Amino acid sequence: MSPRARPHGTAPRSVVAAVEIRPGVGLGVGPGVRLGIAFALVASACARPPTPTSAPQPVSAPASTAEPAKDDSPSWLLRGARVMTATGIIYMRGDVLVRGDRIVRVAASIDAPAGTRIVDATGKTVTPGLIDTHSHIGVYAAPGFTAHSDGNEMVAATTPHVRAQDGYWPQDPQIDHARAGGVTTMQILPGSANLIGGRSVTVKTYPGARGVDEARFADAPEGLKMACGENPKRVYGTKGGPATRMGNMAGFRRAFLEAQEYQRSWDRYREKLARQAKDGTDDAPAEAGAKDESEDNSKDKSDGPPDPPKRDLGLETLAAVLRGELLVHNHCYRADEMLGMLALGREFGFAIRSFHHAVEAYKIAPELAAADTSASVWADWWGFKAEAFDGIRENAAMVAAAGARAIIHSDSGIGIQHLNQEASKAMWAGRRAGLTIADDEALRWITANPAWALGVHEQVGTLAPGKQADIVVWDGDPFSVYSRVQQVFIEGTLVYDRDDPAHRPQTDFELGYDNGRTGAR
Amino acid sequence: MTLRMTLRSSATALALFTSAAIAHAAPAPATTQIAARSKPPRSRAPRLAFDADAAPVFLVGAEIRTGDGPPIAGGVIELRGTRIAAVSGPGRTIPEGARTIDVTGKIITPGLVAIDTSLGLVEIDAEGSTKDDSGAEGDPIRAVYDASMAINADSALLQVNAIEGITSAAVTPRGGLVSGQVAWIDLVHGDHRNIVAANGVAMRVQLGQTVDGSRAATWLRLNELFDDVEFYRTRKAAFDRNQSRDLAAHRLDLEALQPYVAGAAPLLIAAHRVSDLRLLVELARRGMRVVALGGTQAWRIADELAQAKITVVVQPTQNLPVTMDEMGARIDNAALLAAAGVEVGIAVLGDAHNPRNVTQEAGVAVSYGLDPALALAAITRVPARIYGMDAHYGTLSAGKVANLVVWDGDPFELSQRPSAVWIRGRAIPMRSRQTELRDRYMPRVRADD
Repeated sequence: MSPRARPHGTAPRSVVAAVEIRPGVGLGVGPGVRLGIAFALVASACARPPTPTSAPQPVSAPASTAEPAKDDSPSWLLRGARVMTATGIIYMRGDVLVRGDRIVRVAASIDAPAGTRIVDATGKTVTPGLIDTHSHIGVYAAPGFTAHSDGNEMVAATTPHVRAQDGYWPQDPQIDHARAGGVTTMQILPGSANLIGGRSVTVKTYPGARGVDEARFADAPEGLKMACGENPKRVYGTKGGPATRMGNMAGFRRAFLEAQEYQRSWDRYREKLARQAKDGTDDAPAEAGAKDESEDNSKDKSDGPPDPPKRDLGLETLAAVLRGELLVHNHCYRADEMLGMLALGREFGFAIRSFHHAVEAYKIAPELAAADTSASVWADWWGFKAEAFDGIRENAAMVAAAGARAIIHSDSGIGIQHLNQEASKAMWAGRRAGLTIADDEALRWITANPAWALGVHEQVGTLAPGKQADIVVWDGDPFSVYSRVQQVFIEGTLVYDRDDPAHRPQTDFELGYDNGRTGAR
Repeated sequence: MTLRMTLRSSATALALFTSAAIAHAAPAPATTQIAARSKPPRSRAPRLAFDADAAPVFLVGAEIRTGDGPPIAGGVIELRGTRIAAVSGPGRTIPEGARTIDVTGKIITPGLVAIDTSLGLVEIDAEGSTKDDSGAEGDPIRAVYDASMAINADSALLQVNAIEGITSAAVTPRGGLVSGQVAWIDLVHGDHRNIVAANGVAMRVQLGQTVDGSRAATWLRLNELFDDVEFYRTRKAAFDRNQSRDLAAHRLDLEALQPYVAGAAPLLIAAHRVSDLRLLVELARRGMRVVALGGTQAWRIADELAQAKITVVVQPTQNLPVTMDEMGARIDNAALLAAAGVEVGIAVLGDAHNPRNVTQEAGVAVSYGLDPALALAAITRVPARIYGMDAHYGTLSAGKVANLVVWDGDPFELSQRPSAVWIRGRAIPMRSRQTELRDRYMPRVRADD
């Protein structure tokens, strides 16, 4: 049977059959804590065909924020773990109640409602699902075939018309590894060859997606990828420019000037429509087929409704940025260039949601706080190019200390598997330098803050009532090098279990190659 | 003063004798072919004399993880000049007036060794003007390229890594089929005269589709080359009289390759796929010392590699099928290899900027099953052995170069950075270009303090 289609936002919640597990049943089997067994029952009870080959299937549909789970959804209680909420509270021993796809309650102790399955997580640590603001998984898939190079539309320095979603290959084996590292949400960006690289897409690491719509984070805003510095001028220096940072900035300004003009042409058109309607013109304004002569709408109204301006996908994208509908994600290493980009944003009236690879963010941390711009940084990558030469481990902590939002991002299929370790290195560097960085703050660098940067902070990023139940169970302190992800849940459904081959999904590509076991890690 | 050797504790002596058992928990029997070719590796002596008259320094009270035996609680390390004079348990008598440093409650390990790095050859990867990590581009045979002649002791990368515990590095050239000769350095920033401890400690080779994009051409070229190394050795006089056939490489390259083809020093060969790794076994059978770099699929032929005594250097976090040669990459490669009796090294492969993250790599290997003592050995003792430097480096014992690291806690933990680093008997300043950048900008972010 083919996996059911999942038109986004509309699919019904999986109905769980009456597999009611009394407290204690199937649990308490020693320190191994076979959470997986209990949750496997839930997962297998989902409206899903049995699959003898254990081919991964799409899990639950993306949840709509507007529609909380119904009260008759099955509920379960994760009991006794150290609960790191990323809301400022860490329960050294706490409970998390989940119903359907949502977190219902987080508290030191929760009395389970009747019929609730109770899962013993004593000795474990629970965090929100991790979120990466910067990934090219799917658009630069592994293995790194030339055929898999779908992340940089390297034909012009400005390509706002392209979308990462159109290059996203859901069979990229890196997706399995990211999930096994506790990542539940990631922003897939076009590459950084271009000044304006195109639209990003935010996805969840659901197993078994066959197309981007089955991976998409429902209702997540899109982003726009922009890149400063060395990359665009290196790539286009001998291909018509930009060849310098001067050219880079001129390229941004030219693009947004065009977008302003594009926006004005549509504004004029809509004003004209409105005026005609107000004047009682009985010609029904119809946004019919586009015509080339966008200036035609200056014609006398007696000629009928004005013709709409010609649509331009690239300018449409940039105009959406100017209207604040797309979030700007700007690859930008150096402090001087980030300040220049903040000024550019002021000039054109848009905000920069996050600077990525911001290795010099610590030099302008107060300015980032004032601009409400987050800094997506690595813990300690540095020196591979000139603009990365001033990287320091204290970067994230210094950004946080100045009151700005720090984010640890990966830009790597390896790094995305260890976001917790990277955050830990950055946290401890800050502490050694005398900054006060709480565990909860460092956890926010890989959960709540990236959720904000992606505009999905209402739905995910913390363990709090009403949030989607994207949860990671760790076998120890996530800031220890020795801790590993034990289970991962997306929207209340088990999508990874280290100890259960049936819940270590594997993309199609790796089938048939010997890796000595099933699935990632 | 002359009593110093006899004062060594029994614990240390025990440690020395148990090292082999720890390194090879399940030693595989060597085949006769392979046993026949094992020759003692060249040991390169750095010009660091043991100075018996130097004033002693005593580090007292730490847990000493010697790198080749059980830890010594409350131990004492005596340094003289650039060398370790003695390592002992708590029973040590400290001479009156001697310089003593209290490190009670801390952990001391041998200095960490970067196995495969371009430290000192590269400042900024993307800037060719700062890069000297490869010999003549275009020529696949660059055996004569000796990394030691290009090392920049002023590199800012040295301090960044030294203050996090990297005290020595094998500086490896790259590119081509035969990339060149590896140099062993100590991370003594600014000391141009002494930074190189030994040159020619290994020859770096790259298998795969290195020559003409073809595995067959690559292997053919390597065999032709090794054949001519032997040919040239026995017919040098004829060659000088211009009475020789054409040879596969320049005479200087053939000269440089002599000790490696003779098995006196190791070939450091980057290889991932089983079929390539089996070629390494073949070279070992012919009497060469072979070390595998990368070894993504090594876990699949661990027994063969153990039998051929091929050390495998892995980077545990590299668990992705980045190329088809790396399908089946596993994060627990190190543990699987060690369980089969393979000697395992751990490295941040090919990196100049962050070899310091080797502690994290070791920690990841431990979390996926590698014994912690083997993980420590994989970044200290094993690297020294690989390069024939183990008489002077890699463990904490009398006579070794005084490279050591003082930690507040578990060296692999992400929370831990060294509280002190000693290189050649001196505590280095715990400063780097990065700490200076940090300190310059810190007041701006702490304005509200």
